[in-house]
Amino acid sequence: MNNAVKGFLTGVTAVALVMTPACRSKNTKVKDEAVHVQPDTAPTVTIPPHDTAERVQPSEDFVKPSAEPTVTADVLPNNTEELNRYVQDKGLIKDAFFDYAEATLSSEAQADLTTSANWLKSNSKYNLLVEGHCDERGTEQYNLALGDKRAQQAKDYLVASGVDASRIRTVSYGEERPFDPGHDEGAWKQNRRAHLVLVGK
Amino acid sequence: MKRALIAVALAFIAASLAAQSQIVTTVDPNQATKVLKIAIPFPELTPPATSTNAAPVASEVIHAPFYSVLTRDIAASGVFAIAPIPPNVPASSNLAKQIGADFALKMTVWTERNAQTNADDIVVEARLLDTTGGQPFGKRYRGVVASLSLMAHSLSTDIVRAIYGKPGIFLSRIAFASDRTGTWEIWLMDWDGQNQRQITQHGALSILPSWSPDNERMVYTSFARGTSDMYIVNRRGGGRIRVATNLALNTSATFSPVGNDIAFVGSVNGNPDIYLIKDDSTNLRRLTSSATIESTPEWSPNGRQISFTSGRSGTPQIYVMDAEGTNVRRISFEGEWNDDAAWSPDGEQLAYTSRVNGRFQIRIMNLVDGQSRIIAAGEGSNEQPAWSPDGRWIAFQSNRSGKWQLYRMRVDGNDIQQLTSTGENKEPDWSKKIE
Repeated sequence: MNNAVKGFLTGVTAVALVMTPACRSKNTKVKDEAVHVQPDTAPTVTIPPHDTAERVQPSEDFVKPSAEPTVTADVLPNNTEELNRYVQDKGLIKDAFFDYAEATLSSEAQADLTTSANWLKSNSKYNLLVEGHCDERGTEQYNLALGDKRAQQAKDYLVASGVDASRIRTVSYGEERPFDPGHDEGAWKQNRRAHLVLVGK
Repeated sequence: MKRALIAVALAFIAASLAAQSQIVTTVDPNQATKVLKIAIPFPELTPPATSTNAAPVASEVIHAPFYSVLTRDIAASGVFAIAPIPPNVPASSNLAKQIGADFALKMTVWTERNAQTNADDIVVEARLLDTTGGQPFGKRYRGVVASLSLMAHSLSTDIVRAIYGKPGIFLSRIAFASDRTGTWEIWLMDWDGQNQRQITQHGALSILPSWSPDNERMVYTSFARGTSDMYIVNRRGGGRIRVATNLALNTSATFSPVGNDIAFVGSVNGNPDIYLIKDDSTNLRRLTSSATIESTPEWSPNGRQISFTSGRSGTPQIYVMDAEGTNVRRISFEGEWNDDAAWSPDGEQLAYTSRVNGRFQIRIMNLVDGQSRIIAAGEGSNEQPAWSPDGRWIAFQSNRSGKWQLYRMRVDGNDIQQLTSTGENKEPDWSKKIE
C-alpha cells in the first residue's frame, strides 16, 4: 500500500470517527467512487468488572455506522496520465466545450467547470494546465489565438470559482491537436474545447 | 554529413567567362513579356583538351539532378519556352536558326580532380548562343556531384538574368512544417520541391516558419517547453535561440524586412494582440489593444505597414496598420473568415485565405484599386499563401488529396504543381531575397 492510499484511509477513518448519530438522519448520498465503507460492527463496550450483571446495551444509533457513508474519495493513480483519465472518466474534472468560432462559456460549459473547480479546490496537491483547442474549420493562425482566448476564459471561470490562479497555466494548441480526427460536426464539437489537464506541483 | 555536403556545394565556383558575358538582349519587365524560344540539347560529355585532370562523366550522373532540373527551371521561367530539337544535334547558332529558336544553350560537362579536396568535381561550361553567332552569356560552374541541382538552379537563374534583366528565382527556397517524422518540425526545400531537408529537431510541435529578409534565418513557433515560444534558427538548422517575451502564444512571428524587429501575436490574460520585439528579445512593444482576437501580422515589403487579422467586426477579417500601430483600416469585406494575409513583393497586392462557400480559397486583393479575385485553386481547402520573391508564383497548402500538402501555382492560378507528398506538410514561406 502506497503512502497516498494510507493517507487517504487515515482520512476516511478520521471522518468516520467524528460522525455523530445526527449524521445518519441526513440520509446523505453515496457516490459511486466511494471505496471505503466503515465496517458494520458494534463498537467495543467496556463492562465494569464490578457489575457483570448489568451489561450495557449501546443504543442503535450509536452502534450502527451509517449505511450510506458521507465520505466520497478516490484512490488516485500516481501516474499523471492515468490520473487524468481517471478524473475525466469519473466526471470529477470536466472539459469546457465551445460553440463554433466562440470563446464565451455556455451555461453547460460553466456547469462543467464548476464541477472541475470543486474537485480542484479539495485536491490542492495538483496544478492544472488548461489547453485551448479549436476545430479544423478555421485558419491555423487565427485559431491559435482563439484557443488562447478559450483557455483563458476557462481559467478565469475556475479562478472565480475559488481555484487559486497560481495553480493554473494555459496553452493554446489551436487546431493542431484535434481530439477527433474526423471531418464532421461530431468531430468538430469534440475539438472545440478547453481541455483540463492535471499536472504535479 | 548531409550538412557538410551542402556546405561544400555552396562553395562551388562559378567562374565567369568574362569576355563573353555581355548582355545583349533585355526584355523590359514592365512590358508584356515576349517569350523567347531556347534550344537546350543534352550537354556534351567530352572534356576540353585544355583541361588537366579531366575525365568524362556518365550521362546518367547528370541527367536527373542537372539536365532535368535546368530544363524545368527554364520552362517555368516565364521568359523562355523550350524549343523542340532534333536528336543528337549539338547546340549552335545554326541549330537555333534552323528550328526558329532565339537561342541555343551549349553545355559541356566533365569531371575534374580537385587537388584540395582530393575528390572529383563536376564542371559545367555553359554558353548561350544567339542566331547571329553572338554569345550573350557564358559561364563555368564547378561543384561536387551532390551540388548538381544547385549548379542547375544557378545556371538557370543566370540565364534569365542575362536575357530578362532580372534573375530567376530558381535558387529560392521554401520553408514549411512537416509531420513526416511523427512530429511537426520545420523543413526546407528548393523552389521546385527537391532537396527536402529537416531544419529543426525539437521532437515537439514546431510550426509557422518565416524567413529573415536576407534568407539567412527563420523564426518559428515551437512547443518544446510545453508553452508556445518563438525560436530563431539559421537556414542550416544551427544557431538556435529562443526569443523571450514573457507573453503567451508567441505565434505567427515574422521578421521585419528592414531592421531587426519581429512582429508576432502575443497574449496577456487571454487577449491576443500584435506585438513587436527585437530579435535579441529586447524592446517589446504592443501595437494593437483591442479586446478581440488579433493575429497573423505580416510586414509590407518596405516595412512601413503591417497587415493582420482581427475579429473586431465579429468575424476574422484582414486589416492594415502603420508599423507604429496607428492608422488602422479594414481591407477585406467579403466572406465571414479571412486570414493569412501576405504582401506581394511590390507591396501592391495582398494574397490571403478567404472562405468561399464553406471552403477556403486563395484570394488576391489589389490594394491600389481595392478589387479582389479568387485564384482558381482547385478542390479542397487552400490556405496560407506565400509569394515567390519575384511575385510570379504563390505557394500554398491544400487538403485536396485528403492530406495537407504544399503546392505552387502562378499568380493567375495556372500551372499548379504539388511540391510535397511525404507525411503532411503545411505553412509554406518563400525565401525573401532573390539570390
